[in-house]
This record gives sequence, structure tokens and C-alpha cells, in this order.
Amino acid sequence: MCFKNLPIAFDEQGNAYLKEGIDDPYEHKVVDLGVEQDKLKSLMEKNGFIRSVDYDPVTRVAGALAFHSVVDLEKKKVLSTNSMATLFRGYEVILKGRDPRDAAYISSRACGVCGGVHATCSALAIEMALGIKPPPLGVVMRNILLAIEYLYDHPLHLFLLAGPDYSEELVKETNPELIEKAANTKAKNKDVHGYDTVLDIMKDLNPLKGKLYLEALSMTRVAREAYVLIGGKYPHPQSVVPGGLSVTVTISTLNEVYSRLVKFFDYGQKTTGIWDDVFDFFLESNPEYAKCGVRPATMMDTGVWDRPEAYDATYKNCDTWGEARWSTPGVLVDGEVVTTKLTQLNAGIEEFVEHSYYEKWDGHKYKEDPLGTPLSPNHPWNKETIPKPGKQSWRERYSWDTSPTWDRMPMEAGAYSRMYITAKAKVAPKSKFLENTGHSMKIHVPKHQLPGKTLEWHIPEHWNAFERNRARAYCIPYSAMVAMDNWLLAMDLLKQGKNEISTKFEIPKTGTHIGFGAWGAGRGFLTHHLVVDKGVIQNYQIITPSTLNAAPRTPWGTPGPYEEAVLNTPVLEKFDKPEDYKGIDILRAIRSFDPCMPCTTHIMAKDSDHMVTREVTTCACGIE
Amino acid sequence: MPVELNKRTIIGTVGYQLLRNHSVGPILLPQIRELKFQNTVVVEEMNWGPIAIVQYFQTLEIPFERVVFLVAIERKYRNIGDISIFKWEGGLPSETQIQACIGDAATGVISVENLLVIGEFFKIWPKELYLIDVEPGSEVAGEHLSEEVQRKTPEILEIVHRIASQGITPNDRAGALKGDKLFEEMSHEN
Repeated sequence: MCFKNLPIAFDEQGNAYLKEGIDDPYEHKVVDLGVEQDKLKSLMEKNGFIRSVDYDPVTRVAGALAFHSVVDLEKKKVLSTNSMATLFRGYEVILKGRDPRDAAYISSRACGVCGGVHATCSALAIEMALGIKPPPLGVVMRNILLAIEYLYDHPLHLFLLAGPDYSEELVKETNPELIEKAANTKAKNKDVHGYDTVLDIMKDLNPLKGKLYLEALSMTRVAREAYVLIGGKYPHPQSVVPGGLSVTVTISTLNEVYSRLVKFFDYGQKTTGIWDDVFDFFLESNPEYAKCGVRPATMMDTGVWDRPEAYDATYKNCDTWGEARWSTPGVLVDGEVVTTKLTQLNAGIEEFVEHSYYEKWDGHKYKEDPLGTPLSPNHPWNKETIPKPGKQSWRERYSWDTSPTWDRMPMEAGAYSRMYITAKAKVAPKSKFLENTGHSMKIHVPKHQLPGKTLEWHIPEHWNAFERNRARAYCIPYSAMVAMDNWLLAMDLLKQGKNEISTKFEIPKTGTHIGFGAWGAGRGFLTHHLVVDKGVIQNYQIITPSTLNAAPRTPWGTPGPYEEAVLNTPVLEKFDKPEDYKGIDILRAIRSFDPCMPCTTHIMAKDSDHMVTREVTTCACGIE
Repeated sequence: MPVELNKRTIIGTVGYQLLRNHSVGPILLPQIRELKFQNTVVVEEMNWGPIAIVQYFQTLEIPFERVVFLVAIERKYRNIGDISIFKWEGGLPSETQIQACIGDAATGVISVENLLVIGEFFKIWPKELYLIDVEPGSEVAGEHLSEEVQRKTPEILEIVHRIASQGITPNDRAGALKGDKLFEEMSHEN
């Protein structure tokens, strides 16, 4: 039984049914967030620290997320957090009424980094809705394309966006006591990265001039070059279509891809070595860092990278082809796998708008999925996007993000969830380069310029900012090895003359067809739910990783993942005066999620008039 | 000032699509491509990211000697359709600001300011870099230019052609654009 909160049970044959005897099975409590705000206000009044704060985003170009915290600088504690998406993106509205074939191109624009995964997710949704099965080479090349997209994304996050938070320049300002210690701490992985001490690494993490920062920039180019060989262009590929890819792939194409891919063999070794050294240093220097951004390992992922022999695009078989993926779909609750089945993942999803700038929709058109599993009226297939701009209020509505839940729990998403669930569940088929042990993932990296090595990512005891980033580093060799596995398959297919790469299809002009695409982004979980009616899109719903991570409180008051992670974060930064406070611990917590938008954080220091404003810019992908 | 012809030149349009006047570059790109240039002039849509543009410039065997960007930046002292010409004079903002630009750029934000600063930081710009900047007014969604800008289109195209072919003349009364003041000026103007 995977559901504890939704009224869905399973019979002895494993068929889902709606529990009987419940008047309103999907009823939910709506709490008054004002109570929390009143408590906070009263606390601040007692201490004489009431002040009005402008929470609007201040990002210069494209601020789409603001994060507000109230911090007690004396007790070194975060008192309150609110995550706000400040822009309405409205792809769901734009796509309504269009030809389904437009969806891949339009939805790709939801993100300036991970357009390929949106296009793919869209293609998968259409394939399921219309029964289009791509040929093996189409599946395999799509796998390679998207693995390469991640190889662009991961270095970008690790070194350009999150990396500077651990650089010598930043640490000198915020925790100078660590600098001397870092100078005297020998790096354990010198054999792969060449750095003698942790301080040497931290110096090269310095933004703009550090060698690791600049190297990451050049590696994004390598990934982009490989990407465009298949996708045609980056970040919005032109070749991703329902039924496969619209590109001709030859042995030459594969050789060109390979010459780029192998560079990530060594880079994967180097990157994991770098971040293991840096994060071990922080956690060993001060065990309190384990609380930075900590929250239970409660997360979900769609899984990615289909097996060509398993994927048939049908909903009926999606549990089978889902579990055959190189990364396993599923849900973790407090570190335990509760399902790896796409039907259950799908059925457990709901989106709530009680604290968001949307109107609640009426109706419950899809009471069950195509296999009879009950669906909530809040499920994406039933949801309608009805924007309702309004005044920002911590008591009521404060975000353009919705509050998605699975089995009524806010869920975290990340590339790391992909690895965590796959390693823990141990259901992914055997792979040449990957081994899932239940407590770790072993990645057998072949030799390139460095000797071959088996890297092992271990499921950590505490799920915190450092472990999110560490896991992200391991996602580089993980993605590279999946790409390599698929590259070998592609070579075999071409040698056998199986060079068909897409399946023709027609858009039916009659009937209603539903499907969903499930394919994670560089930063995790991504679904596109689609309803095609009489040949046009009748409903389209996108849930991005940041829809999950940046969610406002649920109707019943549970904080979203960013909010919860920051609430648990201690203030470990050293400062003499409140105005010197930079909020690095909170920034590390938020950045570890790789927030999928240019994010501005506002941190209000409780005992001063000081407002810290920092940009947390990452991929410009939108949440609704 | 002697006119210098035959310089290897790139004309780039920078700006989001579908924002009416703010999209003057992307909208006029097809017409710019129709203009007759020496074969030393290249016309490119340049919304594919400052980092990628830096890497492109770094790989050129024969570097560009002149860069011309057609953009639309809102400046409150102008009327819609006013055309200003700026010459990039280098300089950099603070490192924090540069890192913010790179953060934006790496994540898909389209911004000519980011492009200028990042290009300067990585030393890709030639001595001659000009901005032809059309006043767009407030940001509005839409496919077409407003009447004011449509009326100015022949003039915009003429200026693009002339500056790409010959560089600026004193008559252009080009303003100076400096990286160390860029964001300050922008925030004052807006």
C-alpha cells in the first residue's frame, strides 16, 4: 500500500480502488496561515522589531522567485520562511487549443537551459495519448541527447551557480575561521584533481577567475557541441518530435558525439573528487553544517532514459517500461521507497492553489486513470489553470507557484532524487557501467586520460545542502555512463541497419486522448499532462522541479521544500554586526536545490533594519 | 575621420521575441539580412547566450574587427522610436555584478547588458563595438512593432547598414557606453 493519506487502496490482485464509505474522499483541511503570522508578529513586537519589508523581487533582469526569511540573529535561528514565485508563465494557457505537435516546440521555451527535457516530456505525453511507439534508435538517441543535456546542466550548477558559495573568497568573508583549516587539510582525491589542499580547491572555485569555474564554462561548451549534433540546436532542440527524433544519425554522428562524451569520463572523476573533498571538509570542520538545508529525504522522480526494448509509450505498460528505465521512477518518503510504479506516481499527484494566485477549478472529469486507479479532482488531468492575480499576503496567497503534493505530502525534486531512488530501489535492469546496491550507486568509469575507476555514491545519513550538491556531482559520471551505454546500443543498431529513428503518426480529429510525459529535467522531476480533444490540446499541465521545490505552503499549512529546508538551517556564518550578515547558510540551502529560475532571496534580520538581498540565479525555467 | 571599409564585421540582433518594440532586433533581422553588404559582413541573431558567443568569438581564426548590435533598451528620456547610437568603451562593473551577469547568461536570460559585460570580461570585443538602440517604450507583448517604430524602420536599417559598413561618423553623435557605469546608468534611467 503506497498511499497513507489519499483514499486509495489496492485489492489482492494489486488493482487500485477508492476506499468506500467516505463522504468526500478528497476533502482537505485549509488552515489559516494568519495564525502563524500573528505569532511571528507578536514575537517581533515583544522584541521591538516590527518593520515593513518590501518583498518584491529585485533581480535586475528576470527575477521570478523571491524568498523571504525572518532570522533571529541572536539565537542564530530562522523563524519564518516564504517562497514566492513572482511571475505567471502560463504555458498551460498558451498551449490550450493548439495542435499537439506545437507542444514540443512551445513548451521547450519554458526553460532557457533545459528546453530539451520539456520538448521530450511533451513528445512522450503525445506518444502516450496517441499510441505512437518510437523505433529503438529514436529511443536510444533521445536518451543520449538528454543525458548530454544533463552534462551541460550539472557543471553549470556545481561550479558557476552553487560553487562560488564554497569558494575561498566567499568563505573568507563569511567563515574566515575555516580558511586556515582548509590550508592545513590535505585533499583526499589529489590523484584525480591534482589539488594538494582543500584551500587550493577553494581558490579555484572563486568566481570569474578560478580554474574550476572557467573549466566548467568550457565543459558546458563540450556538452553543447555534442547536444547540437543530435538536437540541431541548444537550448531548444529542433529535432525532438513525438515518435522519436527528426534527425539523421550515422556512425559519423556517433563518433562526433563520442569524442565529446569521453571528456566527461575524466571530468566526472575530477568533479566528484573535488566536491567530496570540499563537502567532507565542511562537515568535518563543523558537524552543524549537516543541518544546513536539511529535510527528510521525501522526494519523487519520474525516472528517465527508456530501454528501447521496453518502451511502448502506453499507459497500460508504463509501470513495466518505467521500471526498466536506466533511472527508476518512484517516490521516497523519509528515505524509504514507497513506489517505483509510474501509475502510482501519477495517481498520487495533486496540485493545490489555496495559497497561490489561481482560482480553484470546478469539476472532476477524470475520476480514474485509464487503468481504473482513482484520481483526485486536484490531479493535473483534472486541473485547470485559471490565473487570479491579487495582493500578496502571507496569510492567504503569496505565490504564482502551486502546491503540488504526492499522497498529500510536499515532495522534493532533484537530479539527486533520480540517483537516490535508483540506488535504493534496485529495480533498474543490469547495466554495463552502473550498479545499484540499495545503499549506494557504483559507477564504473572507463579510462580516458585518467585510469578507469569505480566511483561510489552513498546514500547519506542526513539529506542536506551539502549532500544535494555532492549527489549532483555524482550525476555527472552517472549521466555520462548512461550516455555511453546508449551510445553502444546506437552503434549496434546502426551496424544492424536499424537506422529508422522516428514513427509517422497522424493527429486524430475525433475523440479524446489523454497521456502524460514523465522525464526529469537536469534538476529533477518533470511531468507534462495532456488532454487532446478533437485534434487539439484541451488541457496541458506542466509540473517542473521548481513547482515542487518552490511550492508555498499546502492548504493544511505544511511548508514547501525550500521553506522547510531553510527553516531547519542554522546560522553558522560569523559576523560582528547584524549589517555584516550575508545569509550564506540560507543561500547554500536554497542553491542546493538548484532553484529553477532566477531567484532573489530576501533575508530580514530580526534584530536590525538590515535586509540582505542576494540573487540566487539558476536556470530560468518557470513555474507556471 | 577616414571611413574604414571592408572590416570584418558582425551585426547581431539581441532581444526577446514577441515583445513588440522590445523585439526590434529579432523582428528586423530578416530585413537586415536582405540588405546588400560587402562579403566581410555577417548578420546573426545573437540570442544564443553570452557564454556561447564568447566561445564562438574565441574560436574565430580571423576575428571580427567591428561589432554592431541592434537592440531596444527602455530609457525614460526618449520618445518611442528614437534611435540612439552608442560606442562601447570597455570597463567592467564589480565582480559581484559580473558573476550575476554570468549567472543570468548561463541560465538563458537574454540581455544585451550581460552580453556586453561578459564579452568585455573575456576580452572578445574588438575596438569598434556599436549599439544601435531604439527606444521601445514600456514592455508589451505582441508580434509587431508599434507604428512609431515601424515608421523609423527605414532609418534604422540605413543606420545599421552604414555603421556596419563604415563605422560611425561624428554626425552620429554616438554616446559612450562604459561597463563600469552600465548598471548604474540603467538603474538611474529606469
